[in-house]
Amino acid sequence: MALAANGPDVSIADPIPSIPRSPLAVTLAVWKALFLREAAGRLFGERAGWFWLLLDPVFHISYLMVMFSVIRMRHVGGIDTPLWIMLGLIGYFMFQHASSQAMRAINANTALFVYRQVLPVDTVLVRAALEAVIMLVVAVLLLAGAWMFGIHVTPAEPLKVLDCLFSLWLIGLGFGAAASAFIEMVPESAKVLSMVMQPLYLLSGVMFPVAAIPPPYRDWLVLNPLVHGLDSLRLAFAPYYHEIPGVDMNYLHAWALGLLVLGLALQVVFAKRLVSE
Amino acid sequence: MIIIEDVYKRYATNHGPGPWVLNGVNLTIPARTNVGLIGRNGAGKSTLLRLIGGIDEPTRGRVERRCRVSWPMARGGGLQNSLTGRQNSKFVCRLYGHEDDMEDRIEQIRDFAAIGRSFEQPINTYSSGMRSRLQFAMSLAFDFDVYISDEVTGAGDASFRAKAAKAFRKLVDRSGIIMVSHGEETLRAFCKSGILLDGGTATWFDDISDALDAYKESIAA
Repeated sequence: MALAANGPDVSIADPIPSIPRSPLAVTLAVWKALFLREAAGRLFGERAGWFWLLLDPVFHISYLMVMFSVIRMRHVGGIDTPLWIMLGLIGYFMFQHASSQAMRAINANTALFVYRQVLPVDTVLVRAALEAVIMLVVAVLLLAGAWMFGIHVTPAEPLKVLDCLFSLWLIGLGFGAAASAFIEMVPESAKVLSMVMQPLYLLSGVMFPVAAIPPPYRDWLVLNPLVHGLDSLRLAFAPYYHEIPGVDMNYLHAWALGLLVLGLALQVVFAKRLVSE
Repeated sequence: MIIIEDVYKRYATNHGPGPWVLNGVNLTIPARTNVGLIGRNGAGKSTLLRLIGGIDEPTRGRVERRCRVSWPMARGGGLQNSLTGRQNSKFVCRLYGHEDDMEDRIEQIRDFAAIGRSFEQPINTYSSGMRSRLQFAMSLAFDFDVYISDEVTGAGDASFRAKAAKAFRKLVDRSGIIMVSHGEETLRAFCKSGILLDGGTATWFDDISDALDAYKESIAA
């Protein structure tokens, strides 16, 4: 480096008295910074990024709502087909978007681990949180749209609706936290996980009613916690809905907490190895 | 003060644990000292900087930072390509808890980097020189007791290098710095002491000239 004694004067940061921040304050600052950065990237990273971000799920769900209500039937389990489809997809996306974004969080943010305040688990949590916000906006848009088309969208038990959505999101976060750690340890597991995840769309009762499956096979499908979440969500909207026998919110909660504990434990145990290159 | 106690480090490879990069490093780096880290390629200089910077953990041993240590400033690190220079600067301000005076700091970064309107453009439109300017400017905007620099001082064109050198001079006079550089002149200009990394162990020299002499001897041998 050339040493220039002349030339314009330069200024560097003034020394400031060092005020040590508490670990909690640091973590909150990291979450806020990551959230705003992630949101800026997702919403404005490309031209009208926010528009496509909302359009994709809204179009996907509206398309299926129209398809199913026109060509198939008017009612599923006693509620309007469009509402049934819409609730199933909103609930499923709550899980799926959170898990798939969280799963790739560590890998996509390796450049940030240069700042030692940023831990891998922070990127996972923040990504899942942003996905929840986006899906809530999507849900509100869809419900408002359906209401304008004359579909009865007022939930009978709003708190239970929030509980269902939150639990489905929590399963997604727990799964994503565990999967992101696995993927960093064993990169090949990403391929296996995406293979396992693909059929979940069909196996969760999003597009066809699990209640219509004959008993021995239905019992197997009911092992999937997402089935419980989606049917409870429909039931919370319409108490007259004929849910699948054996649907249990506690089963959903147990899975959500179990996966969350597993995911966070893996993040803690492997924290050292997740940042090393 | 930074205390490095019996630090061992090896990386995992696809075929099990790799060779030891650091093999029992013991160092105490006093606060406000300017230290040059010397060693041949692959001697573990960057690894040691990463451990000091706290972005990686030693396999065995302990690193203790008793002062405010910067992030390891290395080429190409810590910037997100899809975001603008301003957005990246905001991110780091928020990380370091400078929410209140963020505007001032961002102005300072913008002025120092002097990349004009590119500051509002995504990083992936930057040339490598512009990236280096921004990174250097970002590191100057925060006050640390010890700065860690991994060969970033030689970045940019002649005019920026001159400006960077002046800023660096100021930093060195005020705070401590731990730097890796292959430029002997740079090391002599900025560093008082030296650390020679060889064969996975570190030797401390109070005078950088002694460290450079020992380094030359180790290469010749």
